[in-house]
Amino acid sequence: MTADVQTLASESGCHLFSGCGFPSPGLNVFEFKPIFSIGAFDFTKPMLLALISMLLVIGFFWSAFAKPKMVPRGAQNVGELGYLFVRDNISRETMGKKGDPYVPFLFSIFFFVWVMNVMAIIPFAQFPATSRIAFPASIVGVVYVTYLVLGIKNQGFVGYFKNMMFPPGLPKAIYFLLAPIELLQGLITRPFTMAVRLFANMFAGHMLIVTFSVGAWYLLGFHIGALFSATSFLVVVILTAFELMIQALQAYIITLLAASYISSSLEAEH
Amino acid sequence: MDGAAWSSVGYLLSGMLFYGGIGWLIDRWTGHSALFLPIGLVVGIALSLVLVFVRHGRSS
Repeated sequence: MTADVQTLASESGCHLFSGCGFPSPGLNVFEFKPIFSIGAFDFTKPMLLALISMLLVIGFFWSAFAKPKMVPRGAQNVGELGYLFVRDNISRETMGKKGDPYVPFLFSIFFFVWVMNVMAIIPFAQFPATSRIAFPASIVGVVYVTYLVLGIKNQGFVGYFKNMMFPPGLPKAIYFLLAPIELLQGLITRPFTMAVRLFANMFAGHMLIVTFSVGAWYLLGFHIGALFSATSFLVVVILTAFELMIQALQAYIITLLAASYISSSLEAEH
Repeated sequence: MDGAAWSSVGYLLSGMLFYGGIGWLIDRWTGHSALFLPIGLVVGIALSLVLVFVRHGRSS
């Protein structure tokens, strides 16, 4: 569990009936003491976890694809499975064959985000780096720049915004009302919702697990609380399984959205 | 599934933001406390639903 709340609960022996209130976890669960500092720059646990995730993804796929064989074995097998999943279920599904040049990009996003998410339930890590908004926001920033540049490159500056703001097949009068919504959607709410969706899901998931873990510890004792403690612990186990699913789903959704936005930049919708 | 369901949320938000924002401005301008803001929000939702339908509903 996360440092502060748990040390607070465990070191003080804070239990029910020991004259100690429930140390309810709050935003402090997401704030860490710096591991080390260089000047004003603090290196914290989420950064460390993001770095480890990056190294894990690079390391694994390096070992899988460094010396590819015609008949894949071991890591290459798993790596190809992952690649084919992103290509067939995300890229080809949204863009068809012309999306193939973007598969490596989507592939990196998917696995980087997924590994960062899974860190939430790995013992000792137990924190999803994506529950700090900076990580989803910077990933989405890269996607944002990518689809804007691609759109302007493929359809021209005027063409891109024209296609974005005026979907074909509507009476002229209604464009006047709809174009501002489209512009707002394409430039602001799209990246915003994309980042917030990932962030909020991971934030809430982590919060749930922490709350029930602290609850299980707090209620523990040789009295009626033990019953509730066991229930709370059971909930932690169920939530952990649930989170495992959510983590993969959120990584999938952010990649799917990236693919769908890149697709809308490649050519106008008809 | 091609992300349509997930991007619809963005449309709803955009509609509410834009027309709700206009409503809010009119409220400030005319001195009402909350008259045009709710109207703007509803109009925004309605228009963004039209947009969602145009973009994703007719998949022919």
